[in-house]
Formats: sequence, structure tokens, C-alpha cells
Amino acid sequence: MIVLQSVTKTYGEVRAVEDVTLAISRGEFVFLMGTNGAGKTTLLRLISREEEPDAGVVLVGGVNTTDMSSAAVTRLRRRLGVVFQDTRLLPNATVSENVALPLRVRGKRRAEVECRVSAVLERVNLADKEARFPHELSGGEQRKVAIARAVVAGPDILLCDEPTESLSAERAADIVDLLLDINAEGVTTLVATHDLGTVNRLRRRVICMDDGEVQSDTPIGSVEWPQATN
Amino acid sequence: MLASFHTTRYLVGSALTGLWRNRTMTGGAVVTTAIMLITLAGFLAINDTLNQMVTELGRKSNLIAYIRDDARPTHVTALIKDLRSRPGVREVRFVSKDDALAIFESRFVDQRDILDVLQNNPLPASVELHLNDPAVVPGLAQELQAMTSLFDDVVVPLDIVEEIIGISNLARVAGTAIIISLTGVTLFVIVNTIRIAVFARRQEIEIMKLVGATDWFVRGPFVAEGAVIGTSGGGIAAIVLVAIYAQVTPAVTRIVSFLPVSTDAEFVRNLAVFTLLVGLVVGSLGSYFSVRRYLSV
Repeated sequence: MIVLQSVTKTYGEVRAVEDVTLAISRGEFVFLMGTNGAGKTTLLRLISREEEPDAGVVLVGGVNTTDMSSAAVTRLRRRLGVVFQDTRLLPNATVSENVALPLRVRGKRRAEVECRVSAVLERVNLADKEARFPHELSGGEQRKVAIARAVVAGPDILLCDEPTESLSAERAADIVDLLLDINAEGVTTLVATHDLGTVNRLRRRVICMDDGEVQSDTPIGSVEWPQATN
Repeated sequence: MLASFHTTRYLVGSALTGLWRNRTMTGGAVVTTAIMLITLAGFLAINDTLNQMVTELGRKSNLIAYIRDDARPTHVTALIKDLRSRPGVREVRFVSKDDALAIFESRFVDQRDILDVLQNNPLPASVELHLNDPAVVPGLAQELQAMTSLFDDVVVPLDIVEEIIGISNLARVAGTAIIISLTGVTLFVIVNTIRIAVFARRQEIEIMKLVGATDWFVRGPFVAEGAVIGTSGGGIAAIVLVAIYAQVTPAVTRIVSFLPVSTDAEFVRNLAVFTLLVGLVVGSLGSYFSVRRYLSV
């Protein structure tokens, strides 16, 4: 589903991702583990085509994301759901308007949009807050809205960047359970995190990154990485 | 087809929502646009008045050619016909010897004795040329002076004509330069005002792109918003201009009656339409190009 072959990305002098090769199968749930600056976010941005690699190839659903036309990038993004680290909710739009955005850009009918938004908000337990604005929600609720927006259009792939950051253990577990639930429906899920507790609890495939390079790729198991706890 | 209808409805709704939710920025952009367009339209009106003054001044340029007594009438008639067809010539008037005498008598009533002493009418017939464009005077004068078989003398106030030409050229060049500069400044200010409004919402553009919006889906509401901002600013400018013309112009015309201030409804209507159109076009294009830089996500 997702293949990276010898991918390198640099920002000036900084090598954010260096010679990374990995493959993620359809329907897999994968943790991308590493400290801040390890290259996790850059890797997600390469997959969502927010960035292009300096070297190497990124294939998403068999499509090479290098040198894509604007229309092809749009088609690619419609297959993805992305939960950004900073949620990136529209501050002037309500919860339901934020969640509806991916459906709106696809030109869906109002009735269908309303139906699917209601269903997904129900699923993330925010049905009673559909008319609120993002600044009226807690951090955990904002993450849930971001997840709802990412999955409302039924993506093939879900990319999550630190979805449990700064959340209490209880709320973090709530979010992870939601992601597992979505993955159980066949959505390939890649979660970047440095939450060692969550990673070890779930015992899923873990790709560990450090300094832009893949350090280990554990199919199913726990990780021992003291630096990752900070 | 159905999707495009829903998309269009969404884009229009989204534009109106965007305008309302960013109303402070919207209001600022509308007011700035209106002020700039009022200034530009004001200068256009002043420039128009100046041009009319210069044209009026040019219309005062006359040229008189005195006809020899032995000149053949057929030649004079043919020449008059030819002169009437020349560009820049407003009127060609033939003044016969008798007409000249009558004019003399009417102007100098107390000096009729002079004429009584003379047995014949000493005054020559003449051709008076009233011109629209002072620039044609020197060439025309030279041409007529060369016709020694027809004319005794050609009287032309060349120094005044040259001064009029100088003033006319200066006024036109200066007026055009000011209008071009002011148009540039107006466009710059309006476009930058819209760019600031778009910049404040760049994150919104990025997010829309990242959730799979096409470039046109993102641009649509912003271009519509720019059009509404520009047209609103232009509309306010048009209303203010019409009000100013209705109130101020009659007073100015009364106080300085020699100023040929445009007061006709067509001029005011054209100016109002101009501000509306400039607002619409600059608002739409300003948004189109302002959004473009944030679409490469």
C-alpha cells in the first residue's frame, strides 16, 4: 500500500529523512516511533505529498508521488486521511463544518454530507458538540474532530501525527482505541508517536526512527527506547 | 453535473460565510478599496476638467488671412472649401469687403469720418479660421502665407499659439502621468489589502488542499469574496462620487464659472460604472493571484 525506496529529504543542511526504505501492506496498523526531530513528521508529509523527496521513490497505492500534476496530487489526497500534529482545524468553522470539509471538496450532496458527518461525530462521541467552534473544545476533543475529518470520506490510508500528544493517559487510550477501530475496518493506519506506553501496550508493528534513519522495524512487539520517553 | 451544482452552491455559500466570519478584514478591505477608487475617480474628474480647459483654450486660436483685392473669387471659394475639410479646423468664415466695413463702422462709430475722406472701401476681404487644435496653426499659417497671389497678409498670434500648445501638451502629459501613477498605486493598495485578507486565511487554504480540494475549489470562494469586496468598495465609491457631483459641482460651477467642470449625467454615470468595474476586476484578480501562492501545498 505504501512503499518508500531509498528516500532522502533534506531541509538546507538538515537531513530530515535519510535513505529510508520500508513497505506497509494494506490494512496494516503501524507505529512510527521516534523522538522529536527523528523524521517521523517528514515521512508522513512525504507520503501525503506535502513534500517531495530529494532522492528515492514514494509509492502510495502503487502510484509514484514524484513529479505529480496538481490534479494527481488531489486524487492521491482523496485516498488519504491525515490527522495533523497541530490538528489544523479551521478556527472559523464549526465542528460539523470542519468534519464536512473533505466531503464538500468532493462535491457531495448536502443530505449525504449531513448524514455522514452525523455518523462520524456520533462515533467519536462529539455529536452534541457539532455546532461548537474548535476553540470551545478540549485538546482531546479537537483531536477527535481531526480524526473524524480524516475518516469521514472513507480513506484507504490514515496518517496520524502524534494523535495522543499532551493528552492524559485516559484520553490517549480513548484516541488509540478509536484508531484501532478505524483500522479494523480495513483502513491502513500509520501513527507517528513517541508515546512508548501506548506502543508497548498495543503490540503492533513498530518502525523506530532516529536522526532521519530507520533504526528498527519490529513486526509485532514492544520497544525499548529510553530516549523516546521524553 | 449534480456534484458541480452542489459544489457551486457550496462555493457561493462558503464565500458569503467567509466574508461574514472575517467581517473586520472584509470591512477594512471594502473601505480601503472605496477610498482608493474615490481618489482615482476624483483625479480622473480633475484631469477631465483640465483637458476641457486646455481644449477650450485651443478653440480660441484663430487665424486671419487678408485677401488681395485682385484675387480671383473662384480661387478663394475653392480654398475655403478645402480649408473646411482640414483636420483641426472648426470653422472657416469668409468676411467680404462690405462685411469688414460694416464691422468697422459698428465698432468705431465715432471714427466714421475717416471713411468719408476715402472714396473707396480700403478694408480687405478676409478668411477667418477658427481652430480646434492649436497645433495646426503654424503649418496652416505658413501654407497661406505662401499663397501670395491670394493673400496680402496672414495674421496669426504665433507666440500665444505656441504657449497654448505648450500648456496643452504639459497638461496632457502631466495628467496622464498622474492618472497612470495613481492607477498603479490604487491597484497596488487594493491588491495588497486583499492579499493581507488572504494571508490571514492561508492556513484555511492549506487545509482545503490537504483534504483533497482542487485548486479551483479553493480559489472559487476567495475569488467570489474578492469580487464582492471590490464591487462593494466600487459601489461605495460610485455613490460618494454621485453625491459629490450632485452637491459640489453646481457650487463650483457657480463660483468659478470659467471652469468647464463636467456636470452631465453621462460623465458621472461613466465614472460610477468605471469605479464599479475596477473594483470588481481588481478584487477578483487580486484574490485569484493572492490565493495562488498558497496553493502549492
